Amino acid sequence: MKSLFSSFYAWADERLGLEELVQFAKQKTVPVHSQSFWYYWGGLSLFFFLIQFATGVLLLLYYRPGPDAYDSVRQITYDTNFGWLVRSVHSWAANLMIVAIFVHMFSVFFMKAYRKPREFGWWSGVALLGMAMVFGFSGYLLPMDDLAYFATKVGMEIFSVVPMIGPKLADLVRGGPDVSEYTVHRFFALHVVVLPAVFLPILGFHLWLVQRHGNAVPPSEEAKPEAQRRSESFFPNFMMKDFAMWLVAFNVLSVLAFMFPWDLGPQADPLKPAPLGIHPEWYFMSQFQVLKIFGDLFPGTLGEILGIVVFTAGLLLWFLIPLYDNTQEAGRRARRATYFGLFTLIALIVTTIWAYLVL
Amino acid sequence: MNYPFWDVPHIGSGWVIGIIAIFHMMVALFAVGGGFYLVLAERKALREGHRDWLEVLRGHSKFFLILTGVFGTVSGVGIWFAIGLANPEGTSALIHNFVFGWAMEWVFFIVELTTAAVYYYTWGRVSDELHVKVGWLYAAASFFTLVIINGILSFMLTPGDAWLAVAGTGQEASRFWQAFFNPTYWPNLIIRCLICASLAGVWALVTCSRIDGGKKPELKTAMVRWSAKWLLPTFVLLPLAFVWYLWTVPESQRALLQLGISTIGMGMFTQVTRMMLVVGLTSGVIVVVTYAFAWRSPLEFNSGQALAVMLLALIATASGEYTRETLRKPYVIGRYMFSNGVRVASVDKLNAEGYLAHSVWTRRGGDGKLAKGEAMFRGQCMACHTVNGYRSMKRLLADRNREAINNLLTLLHDYKPDSPYRAFMPHMAGTKEEVEALGDYLAALTAAPASSEKPKVAEKQTPVTSLGKL
Repeated sequence: MKSLFSSFYAWADERLGLEELVQFAKQKTVPVHSQSFWYYWGGLSLFFFLIQFATGVLLLLYYRPGPDAYDSVRQITYDTNFGWLVRSVHSWAANLMIVAIFVHMFSVFFMKAYRKPREFGWWSGVALLGMAMVFGFSGYLLPMDDLAYFATKVGMEIFSVVPMIGPKLADLVRGGPDVSEYTVHRFFALHVVVLPAVFLPILGFHLWLVQRHGNAVPPSEEAKPEAQRRSESFFPNFMMKDFAMWLVAFNVLSVLAFMFPWDLGPQADPLKPAPLGIHPEWYFMSQFQVLKIFGDLFPGTLGEILGIVVFTAGLLLWFLIPLYDNTQEAGRRARRATYFGLFTLIALIVTTIWAYLVL
Repeated sequence: MNYPFWDVPHIGSGWVIGIIAIFHMMVALFAVGGGFYLVLAERKALREGHRDWLEVLRGHSKFFLILTGVFGTVSGVGIWFAIGLANPEGTSALIHNFVFGWAMEWVFFIVELTTAAVYYYTWGRVSDELHVKVGWLYAAASFFTLVIINGILSFMLTPGDAWLAVAGTGQEASRFWQAFFNPTYWPNLIIRCLICASLAGVWALVTCSRIDGGKKPELKTAMVRWSAKWLLPTFVLLPLAFVWYLWTVPESQRALLQLGISTIGMGMFTQVTRMMLVVGLTSGVIVVVTYAFAWRSPLEFNSGQALAVMLLALIATASGEYTRETLRKPYVIGRYMFSNGVRVASVDKLNAEGYLAHSVWTRRGGDGKLAKGEAMFRGQCMACHTVNGYRSMKRLLADRNREAINNLLTLLHDYKPDSPYRAFMPHMAGTKEEVEALGDYLAALTAAPASSEKPKVAEKQTPVTSLGKL
């Protein structure tokens, strides 16, 4: 059996150059230090994305966009064997993926892993998070139950407050003045064609950059002399542990999907009043609350526009951090960047909790 | 019926017990397994001359003492409070039947707590030989706490025919040992011992992850691997022990699992089946993850990884405890007392004379139907259901009109042998008028707007209510 495998490996190696890959993986090392745990979160984000991809393809076999959207999801949930499980895993993994990307992003931020030469890694990563959130937003409408319908309706109103082009933009995305079956078609196309087509190349680019530059170490570790730094081989040691973390994530995902299967509410009825406390998904709650705060402080359109301006400015500062915290020294600039990160993290958490409390 | 009802909004009283009990089990089972771990590790270190192990074990015993002696003890008392409030009838039955058992348990508790403190405070102050002896004394005392409590917990699922034959006659204590060594006693004990061993390993891995692998590579490698080994016997033997356990549980409980498995494709499987799957999956994952993190790379094994293993252990323990609790349905004490606190033998009497007439803590004298319905709801439903949260009545009855609710209540009240609800719902007791009042209350509940939790019971219509409103 072993010799059969060896022969097959030799045959494949001759044609594909597998040994080069193995040698590359064996030479590649991963730093070992007190913050090593955060290295797993990029891999976890990837794992959840792979789950999304696999379950998304399965859902695609039965989902019908348009007027049948609700009915097809009802069939998936209640009539198709294991449909409930696939849908539940898809929905939970979507949320867990965004959690994992957030954790990954903040760990990268606090390790200062956006500095030279990893700027493009940071930019592509933030872009992937943005797209993951749009994935979430577009996917949320697809079942067309009342919660999805009204939450999307509320979400689309944010577009409308953008000066000048807002209302037209909202109409374009909705496919009309209101959320309808045309919106489902558009969101479906966005969710299964446009976004994957953009997401996958950027993901490939991001992963290539990780291979090219390797794992960054936090400044405290960087300050140590080379002889005092420790590392382990990527293959098989780190890879084995990375897979183990995937297994832990799979376990958590299974518990959530088994124990709390994703619900399907009643079919959306535009003529009915919106259910009480309607709100966007948790990862948009912070933005939702910021807009509300500005709306309260400055009633009218001014508040809405100010809210969007402040949020966009914050996002831009976040995105461009590699350009103004670009030296390796632990100076005032580096400290300010860390404070900015802490402020952002706390503000996100506080405004999200606040948003839920005042629902 | 003889006690007031405890209303815990949103999560229900069951989850108050559950939350305390899950964390308590994580610590209590560690208290048993960890005792053996400490003394065996110390013995090994002394025999093989690994003096450097002793410093780590000393640190571990401090952590052990604080965790088990403080958190374990406080949460244990918390369970008593919680079960006494959530299911006073069931708790009362356990206390009355096992007075001698509890007395033994508390003797062992006292010995356990004392020796744990002595073990920690005598590191380096008494001879090695004496210190190991104290360790053995602790391990034995903690093991006997498990031996005793296991008899009482397993009794709740399978009290056994001998005890049931005298139940309610006042002669229950005469069958103490039959009730104690009930049909599921031994497999339950073996399962718990195996879990104790694995939890000892899991908690020890948390301590070992903190050893500096750069400065003490040999110590860290040896201790991480030795601790990881403690998980292995559990995951080899647990499936066998579990099959034995299933073989001893009543046929009706096994049927609940089979029903769940046969309908899994449609997502209709029972809660207990879901939990079983989670336990099986998580147990397997723990072994693989421990192998990858700890056994293969002991030097790099860090606190984050140890906590990931701990999280899995928590999931497995929580699911296991939930399964054990759910498997008892529809009883709180098998074939003796339903989960709503109604004794099997009392159903006919309550049907004839009225459930509320025998509820000491409900005020009588009025005829408010909704108020009566609410009192019935508190007594017969609230042990497992909440209005708007866990097992929400509003959600479960959302699609039923008054007639459909009535049909459901009739099924639960008549409790015919072919009723599908018999598998997991208790027998509802009460007169026709009481059942009708409950139906009215539930119908008003489902019709109430989402913003209001409960139907408004008019002030003048609240003569029948619980102590909470007095």
